Amino acid sequence: MTGVPLIAARGIYKAFPGVQALDNVDFDLYPGEAHVLIGENGAGKSTLMKILAGAYHPDAGTIEVQGNEVKIQNPREAHSLGISIIYQEYNLVPFLNVAQNIYLGRAPRRQTPLLGALVDHKKMHADAETLLRSLNTDVDTHATVKFLGVAQQQMCEVAKAVSVNARVIIMDEPTAALTSREIEQLFNLIRLLKSKGIGIVYISHRLNEVHEIGDRVTVLRDGRYIDTKQVSEVTVDDMISMMVGRSIENLYPRNYREPGEMALRVTGLSSQALRLRHVNLNVRCGEIVGLAGLVGAGRTELAKAIFGAAPYDSGAVEIFGQPIEKNNSPAKMVRRGVGLIPEDRKSEGLALILSVAENVVMASLERLFPRSFVSGKKEASVVDGAIKDLAIATPSGKRQVQFLSGGNQQKVVLAKWLATNSRLFIFDEPTRGIDVGAKAEVHSLMDRLVAQGAAVLMISSELPEILGMSDRVYAMHEGRVVAEVPRAEATQERLLAYMMGQENGNTRNN
Amino acid sequence: METRATTEQTKSLPSLLQRVPAVAWVLLALIAFFAMLAPGFFTLGNFLNIAVQGSVLMVLALAATIVILTQGIDLSSGAILTFSGIIAVLSMQAGLPAPLAMLAGLLTGLACGALNGFLVSWALLPPFIATLGMQGVAGGLAVVLSRAGAIYADAPFFTFFGSGRLLIIPMPFVVAAVAYLCTWVVLYQTPFGSYIFALGGNEAGAALSGVRTKSWKFGVYVFAGLLAGVGGVVMAARLRAADPIVGVGWEFDAIAATILGGTSFEEGRGGIAGTIAGVALIAVLRNGLNVIGLATAWQAAVIGTIIIGAIVLDVLLKRKGILK
Ligand SMILES: Nc1ncnc2c1ncn2[C@@H]1O[C@H](COP(=O)(O)OP(=O)(O)OP(=O)(O)O)[C@@H](O)[C@H]1O
Ligand SMILES: [Mg+2]
Repeated sequence: MTGVPLIAARGIYKAFPGVQALDNVDFDLYPGEAHVLIGENGAGKSTLMKILAGAYHPDAGTIEVQGNEVKIQNPREAHSLGISIIYQEYNLVPFLNVAQNIYLGRAPRRQTPLLGALVDHKKMHADAETLLRSLNTDVDTHATVKFLGVAQQQMCEVAKAVSVNARVIIMDEPTAALTSREIEQLFNLIRLLKSKGIGIVYISHRLNEVHEIGDRVTVLRDGRYIDTKQVSEVTVDDMISMMVGRSIENLYPRNYREPGEMALRVTGLSSQALRLRHVNLNVRCGEIVGLAGLVGAGRTELAKAIFGAAPYDSGAVEIFGQPIEKNNSPAKMVRRGVGLIPEDRKSEGLALILSVAENVVMASLERLFPRSFVSGKKEASVVDGAIKDLAIATPSGKRQVQFLSGGNQQKVVLAKWLATNSRLFIFDEPTRGIDVGAKAEVHSLMDRLVAQGAAVLMISSELPEILGMSDRVYAMHEGRVVAEVPRAEATQERLLAYMMGQENGNTRNN
Repeated sequence: METRATTEQTKSLPSLLQRVPAVAWVLLALIAFFAMLAPGFFTLGNFLNIAVQGSVLMVLALAATIVILTQGIDLSSGAILTFSGIIAVLSMQAGLPAPLAMLAGLLTGLACGALNGFLVSWALLPPFIATLGMQGVAGGLAVVLSRAGAIYADAPFFTFFGSGRLLIIPMPFVVAAVAYLCTWVVLYQTPFGSYIFALGGNEAGAALSGVRTKSWKFGVYVFAGLLAGVGGVVMAARLRAADPIVGVGWEFDAIAATILGGTSFEEGRGGIAGTIAGVALIAVLRNGLNVIGLATAWQAAVIGTIIIGAIVLDVLLKRKGILK
């Protein structure tokens, strides 16, 4: 790379209580390039980016912006230096419209004398409109963000990042919640930004994206800088071994076997509020059944209805051959051996201010301690086992979950449900936002679960995961199960066609 | 697809009606009920009455709404209302001209709000605790300063705001309308307004966007305190007196009106338009129960039941998809 880098960070250190999050890390970015940053959960990627965006201050190290050394005190200063960031966490305000969100904190004021304190809505919407069009998107600037789809919300975040006249845009796992078509849209946007000379930092756990969008790739491991390479010079396997320090043989370890007793049978389930229409499906013990569909197809809603977390109008659910009375509660389902690992871990899966240990045992307190007295020893053995089994990166079981990296939080959710000894698991996006190493671990764990006779229903937006892990796949489209595809016949193209409603499969009713 | 869409349409209400919150239906039902039961209810005179009675609550409910939009709560607004009225009247008794005395009342509200804001933003107390403390402090000081009894003032400029009229419109109503307009401008026309929604919807996200969340949250409580001060002065002007317990329990009516109006504690959802309906419902209820002559002790229980009933109805209808 030649010329002056947009950003050059040298020798960055950052410690949090109990962890050295960054340990002498270097990073730079040139105009018009997409620099991909990869590393396992907790490697320090988000921390490094938050430092560049002024949200954290480094303990040591220097940052140069276009050749000048700077101290970035807060997000405002980062903006004025032309650095903006799309955080891993959701950062929009749900009940404001698109334009208000894009210009939050920087809304244009009226020019009329005396009215200078008021927002110039006309200008704001006109500016937002121009901006969104220049990004080739057709999001309505008056739409309330809460009611937009995930992809459009993402566009909104990108527009917000661009709107500060950014020369550097950092995207922390922007595709985690997007479907393949939406990802393509985002990539086109990134190419457009690159052609305007903007530098992009791109963080992702989807390594196949690296070659598609990246120019250079930097790898972090345990807070340490490993290497920076031209993307064209490395393979996915190279990246994996740099990330984990070893190579991973098989991302989808499956041992298929004859399915056993019926674990879950859903017949004719409909709900107007959840937009589910006459859903039929079943899962047997020893099986992993994939549930594919676009965002909004109703997969999460279906999972919640089955689990008793959302009401449905008609239909029947049977668990291990026993009919379940309509609109059961999650508490009863847990007692019947059903576990739901929800998609949105922050709001539904975890109590963020409680410790890892408290979260892990939360759903199994009654099982572990039938006499109602909590024994620290027993709890510790369960928790330590879980930390070891899932390789959760935490200094101890006592750490508050909110201080773990995103992927490790997801592992805690998994550990919590594994501790319940459930026999039917519904996984909703089990590996969203978790790194390859952990992904392989979660997958082999799922395989182990079904080997021990459990049944798994797995919702995933990653088709390779669906294809690699499932015995059978159901495809959903607009609230209906439109096809059931056995493993041997499942291909990416075929599933996509079903998911997009282009083809109607045989909806076998059994 | 076409046929399915139309069957869904016929099953539920037309979309315009779907947007009318349950509180509006309950309000209409109540008006019809009282009109049938008491002949004196459905008259222009009585509606002006309701408007006057609802005005102070409106001002207080505006404050409650913006605070709840930020996912906060203000339990001190009733006590601040009382305290501000006492200060205004005491200032007049001490010889201050009425306009200045009233200003002193408003400033009292503002100061109490500022203290709330400081406790919440910088002392990091939960709003529930901070404002509960303020309720005790302001309420207690009101009793001390008034020597536990009503105190009187009747300067014409002062009482004009309670019982005067602008053309035919009662002054308390004018004040409430002005307060509504100001709050509307703040909420929907200034950056501050967007930050209010942001504080409730995604405080961390707003901070990362460079919004000074602490200062603006402070501002929210200051504004709410000022509104409570306005309510207190108007109330005293109406009664030509300040009473140390006049505001007891008003914070609950204000919060109830807000919730009835569709503002919720989740993610900064809601707005002040709905609050009008909430206030109207409570004002109509209080007035109607008086007109039909229900004993005061029963009134509280009936009002509580209907408020909760209306909220439950709203939630149920929304869950069933009948209302939006
Ligand atoms: N605010 C914080 N307080 C304490 N520890 C923190 C904090 N933020 C991050 N950490 C710790 O610092 C380390 C690096 O975390 P970081 O979020 O940067 O990882 P990451 O590479 O982004 O991981 P992921 O892929 O899971 O998002 C982790 O061990 C995490 O637990
Ligand atoms: Mg991260």
